[in-house]
Amino acid sequence: MALNPFFLQGSSGEQNLVQELINEQLKIYGIEVLYIPRKFVRQQTILEEVQSSKFDDNFLLEAYVNNYDGYSGAGDIMTKFGVSVRDELSLVVSRERFEDFIAPFLEDEDDNEIIVADRPREGDLVYFPLGKRLFEVKFVEHEKPFYQLGKNYVYELQCELFEYEDEVFDTSIDEVDEVLDDKGYIIDLTLFSSGTRATASASIGSGCIRTITLNNDGSGYTSTPTVSITAAPAGGTNAQAVAITTTRNNITSIEEIRLVNAGTGYTVAPTITITGGGGTGAAATCGINTNVKGVFKVAVTDGGAGYSTAPSVSFTLPGISPQLPASAVANVSAAGTISSIHITDSGAGFFATPPTVTIGAASTTGIGTYWFNEVVTGSRSGATARVKRWDTDTNILRVGIASGGFYPGEIITGAKSGAAYQIKVSAANTVTDKYRENEEFEVQADRILDFTESNPFGTY
Amino acid sequence: MLGTYYYHEIIRKTIIAFGTLFNDLDIHHKDGSGNTNSVIKVPLAYGPAQKFLARLEQQANLDKPVQITLPRMSFEMTSIEYDASRKTGITQTFRAVDENTSKMKKVFMPVPYNIGFELSIFCKLNDDALQIVEQILPYFQPSFNLTIDLVDSIGEKRDVPVVLNSVAMQDDYEGDFSTRRALIYTLQFTAKTYLFGPVADNPEGLIRKVIVDMHADTNTATAKREVRYTAVPDPIDAEPGDDFGFTETWEYLDDSKEYSPTRQSDI
Repeated sequence: MALNPFFLQGSSGEQNLVQELINEQLKIYGIEVLYIPRKFVRQQTILEEVQSSKFDDNFLLEAYVNNYDGYSGAGDIMTKFGVSVRDELSLVVSRERFEDFIAPFLEDEDDNEIIVADRPREGDLVYFPLGKRLFEVKFVEHEKPFYQLGKNYVYELQCELFEYEDEVFDTSIDEVDEVLDDKGYIIDLTLFSSGTRATASASIGSGCIRTITLNNDGSGYTSTPTVSITAAPAGGTNAQAVAITTTRNNITSIEEIRLVNAGTGYTVAPTITITGGGGTGAAATCGINTNVKGVFKVAVTDGGAGYSTAPSVSFTLPGISPQLPASAVANVSAAGTISSIHITDSGAGFFATPPTVTIGAASTTGIGTYWFNEVVTGSRSGATARVKRWDTDTNILRVGIASGGFYPGEIITGAKSGAAYQIKVSAANTVTDKYRENEEFEVQADRILDFTESNPFGTY
Repeated sequence: MLGTYYYHEIIRKTIIAFGTLFNDLDIHHKDGSGNTNSVIKVPLAYGPAQKFLARLEQQANLDKPVQITLPRMSFEMTSIEYDASRKTGITQTFRAVDENTSKMKKVFMPVPYNIGFELSIFCKLNDDALQIVEQILPYFQPSFNLTIDLVDSIGEKRDVPVVLNSVAMQDDYEGDFSTRRALIYTLQFTAKTYLFGPVADNPEGLIRKVIVDMHADTNTATAKREVRYTAVPDPIDAEPGDDFGFTETWEYLDDSKEYSPTRQSDI
C-alpha cells in the first residue's frame, strides 16, 4: 500500500532544517577536534597493506563526544609487549559539515594518496585535544540515527588510540606533531659545534733537534713504546719525543717519531732510545741545529672547535740563511679541539722573532638551526631522517623515521633550513623508549657469550 | 641438607643469551618509488615485568598519545624441564681453577635442563612480521648453538643449543570493525642448558707433588720403609690446563722414619 500522499515523509526543507539544527547543536555541545586524513605513500598489493603513510593535513571540525563517563574500551592494560592503552572514543560529526568543508579538499589530492574522499575514512586520525591523544578511526557508522525524515545527518566515528610505527606527521600543528616527538625509533646525533680555528705560538732556540730519522721501524709492538732522548747540557732544555705506531699485515711497527719538544742547548746529537711496547728492533738517530735557531716548541693557545681530522700546520719562513722551513702536525682530541702540536722538522734560520703558526680551518660547517620535522640528509650515507628535536646547548639532533644509519664525520644537512653540521657520534637512543632493552641485552651478553667468529644476528 | 647458598644466575644468563640473538633486527619500509624511507630497529624486551615499574617507565605521562608503538618483540621463559637424554654420572666431579683467585675449585657435573622460550612478534603489518621472521628462521636448522660462560668462577663455557620448535601466527582480521586486526607471530624455542650445583673450594688445593713410601709389610709400625716413590709435574709450575709430563724418582730407604706432610721432612 502506498504512503499517505497528504503527508511529506521528509521534504528537502524539513531535512535541511534538521541538518541545520544538528549542526548548531554540534557547535554548541561539541568540542573542536582536528581531523587528520591519512595519505598513502606506498600500498602493498598481494598482502593488501599500506606500508608507509603520511599525515600532513589537518581540518578543524566540531564533534560531539558520545562517551559520557570517560573513554570506552579496555583502558590501560599490561601486555607481554608492555603497557598498552586501549582507550576508545565515539565522536559524532555533521555529515553536511564534512561534505562541505573537508571532502572538497580531499578530492583535490592525489588519487593514489587519498582513495576515498567524500566521507570520513577508516584509518584517518582525530586529534582529541582534551586528552592530547591521537585516535584512529576504526569504523564510520553512517546510519545512526536511522533515516530520520528520510535522510541521515551525522557520521559516528568509532575511534581507538592510534598504533604508531613510522608514519610521517607534518600537520603543521605543533601540538599534534610534537606529541610523537619521542615515540618510535629515535636516533640521537651528536654534532660538532660551529667550528673555530685553533691558534698556537712557536718558541725558537739554538741547539735543538732538527729532525728524527727512523733507521729501523721495529716490529711486534702491542702498545706505544717510550722514546727517550739523552739530556741536554746544563742550561739547555731536554728534548722529548713520542712514537707513532702503525699496523700492516698484523705487524705493528713504528711509523714515525715526532718531537714534543725539540730541546735547546745540544752541542752534539743526542742518543735516542726506544723501549717498551712489547716490540723490538726500532732505532732512530737525529740531527741538531748548532749555530742557527729552529722551532723547539709549539704551544696551543686556543684549541679551537669542530675539528674532525688533523688540520695542516704551517710556519712563516725563517728570515736568515739557511732558511729551512719548519713543519709540524696537529693532534685532534675526541672533543674536536687541537690538543697538541708535534714538531716533525724544527727548521733552521730563524732570527730573533719566532715564526707565526697557522693552523688549518676547522673542517666542520656548523651553521644554521634545524627546523622541526624537516628532512635531513647525510652527505656520505645518503640516509635521510626527520628532525624531532634540535638542542643547541648540547648539539644533539634527535631524528626519527631514518632511512638508514648515519656515519660519524659526515655532514648532515637540513632540506628546508639549510643547516649543516658534522656528526660526531650517531647512537640509537635508549632514553625515549622505556620498553626496548636491545642495548642492555648486548652489554650483558658480551660478558657471558663466546661468539668465536661473530654473532650472525649482528651486534647491536 | 640443601643449605649451601649459591646462585650462578645460569637461567638468567640463558635468558640474556637468548635475548641477544634477536636484539639487532631491522625492518625496512619503502616509499612509492621503491626507495627505503624508513629503517626501524625492532625493540625487544623480556615480557614479564613488575606492573608498577612498567607503568611508571612506559607511561610516565598518563596522557599517552598513542596506544603502543610497533613493531615490538617480546620473549619469556615458559618452562623449565629436566632433560633425561643428556644425563651424566651424578657422582662425577671435575675440577677447575678460579681465574680470579687462582684457587682450585671442585664441582659436580651439571644437571641438564631444557628452558622453554616463547618469542612473540607484534607488528602492525604482515609484511613487517614477515621481514622479521625471515631474518630469524634460516639460522635455526633446527638449532643454533650459543656458547655461554655459565659459571664464571670456574670459567665453564658450555654450548647451549637453542632449538626452534614451532612457528605460529595469529592474524585476527575477521569480524566487525570494532576490533582491530591483531597480528602476532609466536616462535617456540628450547634452550638446552645445564644447571650447576655449588662450587666448592678444593681443600687439597692443586697437587704438585706425590710421595709414596712403601713398606715390606702392612704393619708400618714394625716394618721398615724400603722404597720412596716421588712424582712431580714437569715443569714444576705447570697448571691444570697446560700440557705437561711427570718426573718420577725412586729412592731406596731402609729406616723406620715416617714422612710428616706438615713439617715436610722425615721424622
